[in-house]
Amino acid sequence: MQRLKINGEQVAVEVRGAESLAAVLRERVGLTGTKIACERGECGACTVLVDGRATMSCIEPAALVTGEVETIEGLAEEIRDLREEFADRGAFQCGFCTPGQLVRATALLRAEAARSGLDPEVVRHQMSGNICRCTGYQAIVAAVVEVAERRAGGAA
Amino acid sequence: MSYVGTSQRPHDWAARTDGSTLFAADLRLPALHAAVLRSPHPYADIVALDTSRAERMPGVVAVITAADFAPDAVYIHRGAPLSDRPPLARGTVRHVGQEVAAVAAETYVQAVAALAAIRVGYRPRTAPLTLAEATAPGARRLHERTTAEPNVSVLFQTEWGDVATGRARASAAVEGRFVYPSVSHACMETNTTLARWNQADSTVELWTSTQAPWFIGKEVSQLLGLEHDQVIFREIATGGGFGSKSKASEHEVLAAALSRKANRPVLLSLTREEELGANKPRHRFETWLRTSVDKDGLVRLYESDIRVDNGSYNHMGPSVMRVGAITLGSMYRPDGALVEARLIDTATQPGGQFRGYGTPQVSLAAESQLDELADRLGLDPLEMRLRNVNREYATTLCGYDVTTARLADCLDAVRTELDWDRRRADPRPDRGVGVAAGSHGSGAYAYDLANRSDAAIDVFDDGRVRVRYGGSDAGTGQSTILAQIAADELGVDLADVEVLSMDSERTPFELGAWSSRGTHMTGSSVGKAASEVAERLRDLARAKLGTQDVVLRDGQAVGADDAVALGDLVRLSDDAVDGMLSHETIYLLEGTEPLAPGKSTANLSPTYAYAAHGAYVEVDRRTGAVELLDYVAAHDVGRAINPTAVEGQIAGGAVMGIGAALGEELVREGGRIVNTSYLHYAMPRSADVPSVRPVIVNAHDPAGPYGAKSVGEMSIIPPGAALANAVHDAVGVRIRELPLTPDKVITALAEKEGRRRRHRIWRRPDRWWIALLRWLYPLGLHHLLHRWGTKLGHGVGSGVGDPESVTSISAPDDLPVILKAAAEGAQVIGGGSDALVERRREASPSTVLISTRSVMTLRGVTWPDDGSLRIGAALTLTELAEATRERIPAIADAVDSIASAQIRNVATVAGNLLQEKRCWFFRSGFPCYKRNGVTSPCYAVMGDHRFQHAVIDGHRCQAVTPSDLATVFTALDARVELSTSNGHRTVPIGEFFTGPGETALRPDEVVVEIVIPAAACKRRSAFRKLNLYTGDFATASAVISAEIDASGTWRDARIALGAIAPVPWRAVEAEEWLRGRTAPTAAQLRKVLDRELDREAHPLPGNGWKLDAVAGLAEHVLESVTS
Ligand code: FES
Ligand code: FES
Repeated sequence: MQRLKINGEQVAVEVRGAESLAAVLRERVGLTGTKIACERGECGACTVLVDGRATMSCIEPAALVTGEVETIEGLAEEIRDLREEFADRGAFQCGFCTPGQLVRATALLRAEAARSGLDPEVVRHQMSGNICRCTGYQAIVAAVVEVAERRAGGAA
Repeated sequence: MSYVGTSQRPHDWAARTDGSTLFAADLRLPALHAAVLRSPHPYADIVALDTSRAERMPGVVAVITAADFAPDAVYIHRGAPLSDRPPLARGTVRHVGQEVAAVAAETYVQAVAALAAIRVGYRPRTAPLTLAEATAPGARRLHERTTAEPNVSVLFQTEWGDVATGRARASAAVEGRFVYPSVSHACMETNTTLARWNQADSTVELWTSTQAPWFIGKEVSQLLGLEHDQVIFREIATGGGFGSKSKASEHEVLAAALSRKANRPVLLSLTREEELGANKPRHRFETWLRTSVDKDGLVRLYESDIRVDNGSYNHMGPSVMRVGAITLGSMYRPDGALVEARLIDTATQPGGQFRGYGTPQVSLAAESQLDELADRLGLDPLEMRLRNVNREYATTLCGYDVTTARLADCLDAVRTELDWDRRRADPRPDRGVGVAAGSHGSGAYAYDLANRSDAAIDVFDDGRVRVRYGGSDAGTGQSTILAQIAADELGVDLADVEVLSMDSERTPFELGAWSSRGTHMTGSSVGKAASEVAERLRDLARAKLGTQDVVLRDGQAVGADDAVALGDLVRLSDDAVDGMLSHETIYLLEGTEPLAPGKSTANLSPTYAYAAHGAYVEVDRRTGAVELLDYVAAHDVGRAINPTAVEGQIAGGAVMGIGAALGEELVREGGRIVNTSYLHYAMPRSADVPSVRPVIVNAHDPAGPYGAKSVGEMSIIPPGAALANAVHDAVGVRIRELPLTPDKVITALAEKEGRRRRHRIWRRPDRWWIALLRWLYPLGLHHLLHRWGTKLGHGVGSGVGDPESVTSISAPDDLPVILKAAAEGAQVIGGGSDALVERRREASPSTVLISTRSVMTLRGVTWPDDGSLRIGAALTLTELAEATRERIPAIADAVDSIASAQIRNVATVAGNLLQEKRCWFFRSGFPCYKRNGVTSPCYAVMGDHRFQHAVIDGHRCQAVTPSDLATVFTALDARVELSTSNGHRTVPIGEFFTGPGETALRPDEVVVEIVIPAAACKRRSAFRKLNLYTGDFATASAVISAEIDASGTWRDARIALGAIAPVPWRAVEAEEWLRGRTAPTAAQLRKVLDRELDREAHPLPGNGWKLDAVAGLAEHVLESVTS
């Protein structure tokens, strides 16, 4: 049994060999919001935060995870503004990539650099590890930039 | 409140964004896991098939083969005589990846293990893999077809309009052959089915990723010998479709058959590798076209010879070809069109239905030639199209009764939004604009009953409304617009409308979402059902309120001075059952005709949508890279029911089309797909499409529901030609084969400018041996090694990782523990992002893994007083970039270009240097020389080696070292510090790399530190790379590190070139030339470098262009260093 801190809660789960964090989250913990689309670290659908850093959970061995894990289920409330902005701008269609996009964006929005808003070009580059086959990305980037700006404005 | 015509959030937005929406693989039924055995041969007879050993494997519950189906079971698809594909191979396999058997076991790993225990005897046959091979005289036939020509499945010849008049009026013509490659839908959700067999009533329930449950049910039921209604669909989210999920492929019936045999639920979820390697992609078209125009630029005649790669079974090929050809008879107003089209069988996976359905392929040719002719006549390409646009309410050559047609408005929108006139006149070299137009129907009458859609509305006694329809929303927003329509008709709040889709027991008949029919057909049926219910409710209200004058609004029926809630009316209704008033209706579309064999014209759709796309690009003549600067997609969609959703369809389809135009292409070798991962399939990432702007030309079409026309497919049609036209405008080369990758651009430019490289191999005895081998490969050596040599190899891993094969994985915080483990044979890893994926392809990967990630002493980065830089081996790439951005930006720039932010967060410096070699044959599991052993071929010699392989020093293996850091560190004279449990040594970077992804590291050694000496830290350095998408490996890269004194004189210099040789390559002669030189220019360096490269290089036939590209990168880098 391995102890993991997931979305603020300590859980004890069985981890088999080099099993990935994504598999453990989905199959053992029942958190299926984390999606698997390539299982090779190449698409971002499985992005979770480990100690606040965006990580591809499909290739992260669960056995090596010591930090705090945050998934879309745990973050949904914190990023309600971003989720609404996604919905208003058409930043998702099928929604399969969406948890990964949102989790990746959460790390960007939390970063020190976002305090004064985020540059669209930085967002584009930083989010290039998250493939979306439906939307063509424009709305995703716009939503993240907009929320960063709004949050920066609110903080000022 | 009126919702139609306004932007509304997706009706289920909250669940789609908080992780609670369930896709098929998210369901937690106690299901078995299925895996599919696929053919390794493109064409072979199955002489033996024995599953008995697999059946006895641990965890295995059911194994199925063709014997589990009726002996003549085939998918119906377009119907006999075209139906030809069995659910599992019967006696013969006709493409690599064809399904031969399937296993259901307790775990996926057990199912995969059982596949290996199935014994199949194959007798390979010569396989026609390309159109040329398939149509060569005497070619081996894949099927008995009805045409006389070998491997021509369907021949379509027709003459539309008045060809003679067209010919007589024409005064100019161009002709050419255009190729649109096979591309993958690459939906983010792989095809997945969860099937549950119910023994009691012999039904099977399916939760399947689909756009069209009805079609899947039709195929699955007939293949299993059931009635259609014995296959029951349940609602489940679908993660993208783009056409691929609108017809049955294989996962649905295989899951169902396994579930029946096992009498347990079975989950079959394709891997990404299967999805890219064995699914049904876009049909590759070779379109020969001749367009004739008159002196005013009016198109007079099209003459065509279209060759469509069918793949090995018909699937949707016949209609895709037909629809593609129709482009010539529908888009403009020629006098005549001569169409000849052949659907040609090749031993490759069958093509499927893909957004655009043949139209993007033929449009590429037609819209490129329009530009060629505009050029010839001295006309602006926009003006050229404006002269040719269809008239409204006219009939086209192919029989389309066009209603509204606002292509001219779309073209005007491109002119304004893209700032066309100014940018076209822009004298800046190498920038260009291009436009292309397209058209698509709103739902084709392609099948029986395709002119019918049923829908149901329930009104509950609490005032809630439910829409029920049998289709499926794979992300198009269809469910939301249906809710908007129902809310408007019934005067209720949108939040009070829920939507139930897919469930075949609870929804009425509906063919589903394909052919852009969702908006028109289901929009009409739901609108009709809702308005009929509304009338019932108004009647009830009239009786209750005693007035004729009743309107529905705000959830009430409102009379002159009184109102009654809808819920109360439901209670008053005699027909309400259990507090619910339900109504089902049938919408029948009038005025369209089905496509019938033997008939070449038909009005297929109720309305036709138009679009014009404009692209603004910059072409880098030095590297061949095409950069998209701006893109405008203007669409005539009638009236947009939900503008945000429409814009989403436009932007999404445009980017998908841009992807196919600039990078995407399924690459095959010996019939097997090579690029079966997102890593190797060059799809656009967010940073590759900085500005794609949808424009809705909003204008009501009276023939559409609420004025709407289709949008979903239209947006993928114009990008190919728009970009090819823009590239031509920028640099004057016409590329007729997509994608517009740098190799094609550079090759075309070199040809235009008359540049050629000479390598004089005959003067270089050290290369004779390799030259001889390369010469022998096509003469039989490749075949010999592939067919027989590979049998002697040590094997290739399945690509599926078994986590339990790792007996120990740990990340101690103490280096000595790691050194000891290394000495005892453990595999040392860093972040694991490369190693953990690559080990799946190893025949016997190590079982003990130990990571350096927790060793704090290896995670530092310091700048000691001696001026050097010391980088801990386990530092993450993100940390390295942060630490070096100010002082050595070349390092940070290189890091920023690697993979993704998420990978950079875990990948370590040492892990990056020690990455597995880069070669898509090797990485995708081909049994190659390096992977499988010396008797195996290098697949790159005969295969596609344009991007990834060595142009210098290639040997038996043509792979390169992928690490960008390796290239940078080479230019920075780095030293690699290595430790063992009882010693330490320092290796200069130039000696560290010994081969492609191979190093001097001994098994018991661990990289502990990289040291950049003070002299190198002081130099000015710059890095640049060419790749196919943001985060891709380098196709080529260049680093220059220079000591330049105040007077601009170069005291010292390093030039390191990446991805062109097995190891990072120093251009020593050019370095020597730079030393002592004052203010050298890029052009001067280029000359010297070209001489050196020409002398040293020994490229393969298809990758010599990389020499130009890498020299071009060096020019750029020189400019950055000196700027
Ligand atoms: S599923 Fe993890 S990156 Fe694709
Ligand atoms: S919304 Fe479908 S993949 Fe992004």
